[in-house]
Amino acid sequence: MSEEKSERKKGMGEAEEVREILGVVSTQIPALIRGVVGAVFSEEAGKDMGRAAGAFYKELRESGMPEDVAVKMTQNYIGVFTSLGDMLKEAVSGKGKQMNIKIGKEGREEIGEEIAKKIKEKIAEKTERE
Amino acid sequence: MVKIQSILSIVASIVKIAGSLFILWATFGWKVRKTRRAFERELIKQGMSKENARELSTHYKVLKDQLMSTLTHVLRR
Repeated sequence: MSEEKSERKKGMGEAEEVREILGVVSTQIPALIRGVVGAVFSEEAGKDMGRAAGAFYKELRESGMPEDVAVKMTQNYIGVFTSLGDMLKEAVSGKGKQMNIKIGKEGREEIGEEIAKKIKEKIAEKTERE
Repeated sequence: MVKIQSILSIVASIVKIAGSLFILWATFGWKVRKTRRAFERELIKQGMSKENARELSTHYKVLKDQLMSTLTHVLRR
């Protein structure tokens, strides 16, 4: 009977923990994604990139470069941007797999514990402030 | 009672995350269009033709597609 009670208590504690973790994650993750997206896809970011690419193109034209070559070079200049997406893709798929192999199960558990510890610290900080 | 409250809170958090991600996904295309337009305007200001500016701004669409495919790849895993 007392075993059943302690099991129930443990389950409640786990549910409470998951609730607290999800409470933090539900605000942090969307904010993080919004920040990353906003840094590249915003009117201001587009304007800045356009200004940089435009200045590059203008310099090339003023130094006597033919139009098609100048456009091609500007295209390459902006191509660094798209390589950002490639890098992200590589990090997620290719290199990520290599990392899994290197880290191994124990390492991953350690990282998980570390993340849980950090989240708990954040929650404690938050509750202290409140 | 506490457990029910916790479960309700967990469901609310999941709905909140899903809602935020849906809003981000729904407004993503609009943000890309706005960015492209601002980018093209600046290039045209520097003397580039409209066609070339439009062609160069397709990089934003490529980047968007790459990001979306990476995200769906991560979610599927």
